[in-house]
Amino acid sequence: MNVKIATILLSGFCLLPAAAQSKKIDPKKTPQALKKASFQVDKYVAEIFRSKKLKVPSVVDDATFLRRSFLVANGRIPTLKEAQNFLEIDSANKREILTQYLLNTDGYRSHMQNYMMDLLRIEDGGGNGRDTSFVPYVRYIHDSVAENKPWDQFARELVSASGNGWAKGNGAVGYYIRDKGMPLDNMSITMQVFTGERLECAQCHDSPTNKWERIDFFELAAFTSGQGEINDGMWRKTAGLYGDLQDFRRTDAGRLMYWLRDNVHYMSLAGGGNGRIKLPSDYQYRDGDPGEWVGGKTHFGKRIRTSAKRNAGDSREKFATWMTTENDNFDYVIVNRMWDRVMGAPITHPVDEFVEEDDTIHPGLVRYLKRLIVDLDYDLKAFQHVLLGTRTFQFAANPQAFEVGVPQAFNGRQLARMNAEQLWDSLVTLIADQPDELQKRKFGDHIYYQGKPVLVGKKTMSELSTEILAFKSPAKYREYVENLLVEIKNSGSGSSAPKDMMMMARSERPGPAKGIARASELPAPAPAGHFLREFGQSDRTLVNGATTDANMAQVLQIMNGHVEKLVVSNDGAAVYNALETGSKDADKVRYLYYAILSRPPSDEEMNMLMRDVIDGSKDSYKNLVSALLSTHEFMFVQ
Amino acid sequence: MNLSDLNKQDELCRRQFLINSAHTYLGVSLAPMLGAGLTSSLGAQGTPGRVNSAEHVIFLNMGGGMSHLDTFDTKPNNKEVQGPVESVATSGDFQISQYLSKTAQVADKMCVINSMTSRQGAHEQGQYLLHRSYAPRGTIVHPAIGSWVVRMKGRKNTTLPGFVTANTSPSASSAGFFGAEFGGVPLGRPDEGLKNSTRADSVNEQDFKHRLAVADALNRRFSERFSTPNVKAYDSLYEEAVKLMQSEDLKAFDINQESGQMKAAYGNNRFGQGCLLARRLVETGVRFVEVSHGGWDTHYDNFNSVENRAATLDQGFSQLVKDLDDRGLLESTLVVIGTEFGRTPRIVEEHNSGRDHHPSCFSTVLAGGGVKGGMKYGKSDKSGNRVADKPVTIQDFNATIAYALGIDHAQVMSSPSGRPFRMGGAEADLGKPIKEIFS
Repeated sequence: MNVKIATILLSGFCLLPAAAQSKKIDPKKTPQALKKASFQVDKYVAEIFRSKKLKVPSVVDDATFLRRSFLVANGRIPTLKEAQNFLEIDSANKREILTQYLLNTDGYRSHMQNYMMDLLRIEDGGGNGRDTSFVPYVRYIHDSVAENKPWDQFARELVSASGNGWAKGNGAVGYYIRDKGMPLDNMSITMQVFTGERLECAQCHDSPTNKWERIDFFELAAFTSGQGEINDGMWRKTAGLYGDLQDFRRTDAGRLMYWLRDNVHYMSLAGGGNGRIKLPSDYQYRDGDPGEWVGGKTHFGKRIRTSAKRNAGDSREKFATWMTTENDNFDYVIVNRMWDRVMGAPITHPVDEFVEEDDTIHPGLVRYLKRLIVDLDYDLKAFQHVLLGTRTFQFAANPQAFEVGVPQAFNGRQLARMNAEQLWDSLVTLIADQPDELQKRKFGDHIYYQGKPVLVGKKTMSELSTEILAFKSPAKYREYVENLLVEIKNSGSGSSAPKDMMMMARSERPGPAKGIARASELPAPAPAGHFLREFGQSDRTLVNGATTDANMAQVLQIMNGHVEKLVVSNDGAAVYNALETGSKDADKVRYLYYAILSRPPSDEEMNMLMRDVIDGSKDSYKNLVSALLSTHEFMFVQ
Repeated sequence: MNLSDLNKQDELCRRQFLINSAHTYLGVSLAPMLGAGLTSSLGAQGTPGRVNSAEHVIFLNMGGGMSHLDTFDTKPNNKEVQGPVESVATSGDFQISQYLSKTAQVADKMCVINSMTSRQGAHEQGQYLLHRSYAPRGTIVHPAIGSWVVRMKGRKNTTLPGFVTANTSPSASSAGFFGAEFGGVPLGRPDEGLKNSTRADSVNEQDFKHRLAVADALNRRFSERFSTPNVKAYDSLYEEAVKLMQSEDLKAFDINQESGQMKAAYGNNRFGQGCLLARRLVETGVRFVEVSHGGWDTHYDNFNSVENRAATLDQGFSQLVKDLDDRGLLESTLVVIGTEFGRTPRIVEEHNSGRDHHPSCFSTVLAGGGVKGGMKYGKSDKSGNRVADKPVTIQDFNATIAYALGIDHAQVMSSPSGRPFRMGGAEADLGKPIKEIFS
């Protein structure tokens, strides 16, 4: 590596986080080792092109590489500065340096967090009293992505979760709480997300379209059955001490009790799984009777079982181990997902359907990728690093027209509209100088009751919830609540806690950010009618529920909505730094191009613009900014 | 014309370029032609539909799986499956749930189908089938029923979109392989109408047109290289959007033009306001409006949740039917209450009296659009568990919507790669319209 150039580049990009540089690197994950893996992937891909007698696509120019890399790895376009730094420096290995830079910024975390929140259908603003109770789960997802938790560990923690969601680091129980009351749907989703098997049909009947029978479904659901709350019934018994619940609800104690129900009890998951389940009353096949107990049983990979006769107590753990280590599906599905994420299309469609190696376009490639993800200890960042480092990633987009709504086979990168989050985050980049430094989601552990922080410095949510969930006697619980009420009332005057602690508590109120911030920090999903939703953000009811379909609301949004109001007509928007960066009109145009399209204008474009559009006035630049933001080139990832 | 030509052009040609470009978007001289293209319909060409067919559809989508037992298929004599819900008499020849007392008063205008049946017991697949007559496949996205209606019947008002959705997930409005021009325009909130449909104050008309013309010029190279359907989709949407911005009928989207009394009559909630908006839109010639009302997935605490959901449905739906009737629009507007499946007769005690998914038997409603009122079609068994008489599949249901509109549900439309598709579903399970419910 040319040290001098690397230094300039890196200093331009601000230094890599110190942690990333100083940490001792695993020999399997050194830049050299990852690069070798990239070569290996390219070798297999070259074989595909050879055997199919396809023309090998050309490698994209620096500008396209820059934009594609930013959008894929960081979920936004580069800022003017970032574009300038990359485009204006000559260095043989600047692409590699860029990739390293992108994977070590908070932008990577933000973009990857969107991905995971979509995959796991995470909501935090949906009402139902969930607003606060979902903080620990969102926090868990955030932290797991931020620390680049190995995928197998991440999956295992979610599926084997148990206990108090507010306990430190235990937010994974949100995985089951998300689907409270619908454990069967939850099992369908678990199988889809982690093993690429579709069982939702078999929930009600033998599936006519795939191999699954209804009994198989219940045998799987047995592993995760038993999803009650900790000390289930204790709340009800305690509330029962107060007499009529309707009246009780309107008293101070009642309000507090109901708040505890929605925020503490709700977020708890008892036991470790019963390992057995009763067949439903409409069970219609000969292999079981309605109401009969069935034990857990797996049907591919290693065969594991749990008893139909007694509760296991640890069957979620057992299932999670099977799911992550004792079958072939788990590795393939995550490989296919990450390939899709980096290369723009999965190896096989749909992305979450398991396919045997031999049924893919290149069994050798798939076998290699599956081994690679295991060798990299399921480090998703390192795995994506390998893919981003390939020549395959750098291939030019396939300009061929393709059928609407028909996913493509392996034939080069498809032109794709930015997804809703990429588009929003790109606009944010044009508005704010440092898009990754804007306000973030907050995860404070203070207790917020009736909109205010209470018991600051005395008790946290984790402490409170641990105490509440430990009660074995309604009378004790009641006494505790009465005392708590008094404590809250006394601390409500604010006199007991030091002022700075109160201020901190207020500013750390957990929850999403508002206004201009990266999509990952906004309510999930964004409210109906928000820019993100209009451009197809998932409503988080379905796995992979996002869409990039075009619709009229989007075009109106570009012409007359946020694009006009927050960017074009906003004199303080970061995009206009381009006008300060250059002094001559042609330079200003060039920098606007850097900021918006991440490339310099062609001579043709420059001539046309200088003649027909730019007269040196601010308004003429605004016209150009608006026009550039309305181009297809802005909205599509090449 | 490409950019290199532009460079050589003199001032006169340059002006011509801008004007031409502006026309591409702003459609001043092209509009009539464009409009004609869009209104040409397939359905009008001698299909075997009904005489005096309906013109519009308002599709009320009860997302999550509406409990048939607690709404339109009560079992007053079977307490075990019915739980605490009472039945009430209606102005038609049947009873419905006490939760729908206002709807009971317009029952003489509606036909309840109690024999719906489906094999799709998961939300995603069920909603997909309901909206598209096909089960989801990895290889294609089928057009939504609203897109079929616009495609087969053409637009009625050429300056407004033919298909609009409110409170709906974006995937429900997708036109699939028909392309975005047939897709639904999704509205975030009914009370905000069609957002951003007027020019921002920060730009004057001349600059607005200039910007679009410049964008058009800058797009040419890219469009030549990537002539893909999703790129072209945006081109056609820009044209449509500009036309819409100039439309006299844009105010149809603004429910604030209605009196406070009228708004209150529909219910002060998103669904009710969506119904009011739907009425305004069909009044102005929009073909298909979908309004969603979710939250019916009552695994947990079924009775409280259904009561709550039903109250909103009751007010919005009954007022919609009355209002359409008062305006003489009910004959020409088919109002549909659809859902992906019903819920189990079994009441799950441990889930606070919840009910689970139940696709094998459920209920839907059709009103107006030539449908005979005051009747029920089909029957479920005594516990609402299975269909006892005249089963109706989702494909039959959608074929019936087609029939009401005079559309041939069996007419094949090919995907770009030549695969055949029909509004009434695949050949093997092609729907049959229920003709006897029409007068």
